[in-house]
Amino acid sequence: MTTFYNWVGELARAGTLPSDFQYPFLIRGFFCVLVLAPMLGGLSHLVVTRRMAFFSAALGQAALTGVAIGLLLGEPLNAPYGGMFGFCLLATLGMVFVKRHATLPPDTLIGVFHALTLGLGLCLLVAVTRQFNVHQVESVLFGSLLTVTDGDLALLLVVGVIVFALLIWQYNRLLLDSLSPPLSAASGSDSAFLEYFFALLLTVSIVVSLKIIGALLVEALVVVPAAAARNLAVGTRNYLVWSVVIAFLAGAGGLVISTRLLVPTGGAVVLAVSAIFFVTLAFRRLGRQG
Amino acid sequence: MTEATADDPLVGIEHLAVIRNREAILDNVSLQIARHQLHVLVGPNGAGKSTLLSAILGLIPFSGRILLNWQASGAIGYVPQTFVVDATLPVTVEDFLALTRQRRPICLGLTRGARQTVHRLLERVALPEIARRPLAVLSGGELRRVLLAHALDPEPELLLLDEPTAGLDEGSAAWLEDTLKVIRQSGRTTVVMASHDLEQVRRLADRVTVLDRRVVAQGSTDTVLTKTGVLDLLPSQSPRAALR
Repeated sequence: MTTFYNWVGELARAGTLPSDFQYPFLIRGFFCVLVLAPMLGGLSHLVVTRRMAFFSAALGQAALTGVAIGLLLGEPLNAPYGGMFGFCLLATLGMVFVKRHATLPPDTLIGVFHALTLGLGLCLLVAVTRQFNVHQVESVLFGSLLTVTDGDLALLLVVGVIVFALLIWQYNRLLLDSLSPPLSAASGSDSAFLEYFFALLLTVSIVVSLKIIGALLVEALVVVPAAAARNLAVGTRNYLVWSVVIAFLAGAGGLVISTRLLVPTGGAVVLAVSAIFFVTLAFRRLGRQG
Repeated sequence: MTEATADDPLVGIEHLAVIRNREAILDNVSLQIARHQLHVLVGPNGAGKSTLLSAILGLIPFSGRILLNWQASGAIGYVPQTFVVDATLPVTVEDFLALTRQRRPICLGLTRGARQTVHRLLERVALPEIARRPLAVLSGGELRRVLLAHALDPEPELLLLDEPTAGLDEGSAAWLEDTLKVIRQSGRTTVVMASHDLEQVRRLADRVTVLDRRVVAQGSTDTVLTKTGVLDLLPSQSPRAALR
């Protein structure tokens, strides 16, 4: 990878590419955005259609707790994936199981899990900060390009390819189940399987995105691109394309803001995607008036 | 185990009970639905008509037995009472109808075959011009027709309709009744329909079951609807009839 970074750096110094690409961490960041945008943007239109925005927020908090567990179990600070994957998968299975078997409204049940995981995470973080500087943990909360390694990028790429393939495999069934579970069941689909399947895809995607976006902000990238796309799109293909394009613009814009203003990447990406949302909202209103 | 014969009912329900929040929504319901007939479930609000259809679809937990004696495709068509679409959902009618009619994910575009099938289905429900319109902008009547188009392909062996004419104008309701008559005459589909409209029941039904959380009466339409006490359970007449 060093040779590749050097080659891109040479192109940047020669003025062929923007000067930001002189730095390997920014090249890695850009590639992360290239993978994150189709993955989270693609998932986001199903997240919004399936009304799983709050579920995604709860997963972000669960990841924070997972990080604390991982660190307490001795995982390295820059890759506490065991704790994150383990706890998030547990939280996901728990939320979906309880949602399917309880009679309370889904948002109430997810609220319970949200509070539980956040409370547990905060308690464990106190223990973690006895071993690590609190600023080192901040990168997990808010996302940081400086901590992203080639290993993280490779993991993101592998997960991105797998998520894409699995999503393509079940896409039509997932969308019909999102629109109407009874119609989906009448057509022979297994609603329980689809619910667990999509929740697990979302979980894995969120966990591998955390180092870039941050635990507290990751839900923004699985909700806002699709919300913004709805203001522009007609047709499902158009909806998906706009979701991905908006996620990419937000990611790239966030990178630029983050490096120029020296603010956390996650916050910058969320600011960018939120700005895009309001622009699309204005377009929609103008379109109606026109 | 014995094979189902053409004389066996398509649906056999034995001692069905559905409990929700410790309350019996359906209690000890037993009934049989004969093949190729139009069987209507009537009863007051909360009688358990929609719940019974959900149980047949396997959407809710229940005790008792539901036996489905398939002899043809085993396909179920279903038109739900409500189909709520977000006002900003960009999914179009042709996207929706293509979901179960092509293997390729519809977000990658529709195949030519799926487009032709969708066009044929929309012509069948007399709405060929709405293919590119978002589901969210359809009127209640148009949406009901699209759902019926979806339910009729592939040709169902069992068609479940939950209050299909509720909220429709006279023209749409009449069109739907005519379509149901054609389906029944084809002799290949068994129809189970929940309905409030007694006049419609008289016009369409071969057999009627009156539900009020349990089976109050069942049999041929004339027999059931003239039975003493049965009509007291039901709305005296449909709102449409009241307007006339």
